[in-house]
Amino acid sequence: MRESTLQLINYVMILALLVTLVLHLAMQAFLGVSGYEEALAYDTAVARYREPLSASLLTILLVAATYHGVWGLRNVLLGVRAGPAWGRAVTGVTLVLGIVMLGWGVRTIVLAFAGA
Amino acid sequence: MVEGLVSTEKARGPEGGFVGRQVRWALRKPMNLEKLALAVQRVSGVGLLVYLFFHLFVTGSVTSGREGWDGVMGMLSNPLAHIGEVLVVAGATFHGVNGVRVMLLELTALVGKPVRPDYPYKVQSLGKGQQSILWTATIMAGLAMIAGIVILWGL
Repeated sequence: MRESTLQLINYVMILALLVTLVLHLAMQAFLGVSGYEEALAYDTAVARYREPLSASLLTILLVAATYHGVWGLRNVLLGVRAGPAWGRAVTGVTLVLGIVMLGWGVRTIVLAFAGA
Repeated sequence: MVEGLVSTEKARGPEGGFVGRQVRWALRKPMNLEKLALAVQRVSGVGLLVYLFFHLFVTGSVTSGREGWDGVMGMLSNPLAHIGEVLVVAGATFHGVNGVRVMLLELTALVGKPVRPDYPYKVQSLGKGQQSILWTATIMAGLAMIAGIVILWGL
């Protein structure tokens, strides 16, 4: 895929990230939760995953944050050294990192949503 | 015949490691807010990615039941973790607001019109609109930090 297309996707992910992150933090802080301790309670955390709207929000947040983070890390690492071999290595490593993060996050959401 | 000067020494690259070079570049005179903002944006971005990585594994403990979750939360309820959380809140706020500035810079006319570079040279890319967003990002990061301290320590 062309770099310009990946950057365009990054812009979309940034917008999704801004919206979902604000909602995510608001849900931890004041929307339906009375305080910091309650936000970290097991029952509150499980309820967050079992509620379809909240689980969807977490999934969008996960995809957007992972893409934006891994894309940013790739850009920083590409600035460290030059050369096609370095570029391929960086792309490979960041791709694996992204897949691991996405895989683990989706696993958590699916298992918690299903009630495991 | 004019003899050419040929050096047998290997060409030297910039001294120091990547981090050292970045720090020297960001702080080199003349100081430039845009350079500093980029350096902070990169550092906060990498920091947030590291946080996200661990956050995913911490929240993943919800699948191991109440004992697993409470164990991880107990491990993280210490002052060092709280300081990390405050830094994450401040870093995320700055990164977000400054990121909006960078997006506006890339996608809109916020960058301003090009003018002839006359001596003494002034940084022309960081106009008033951008500067105000940058200062907003810094102030908001400071306020977010205070809010984080109030929530975590109840001050």
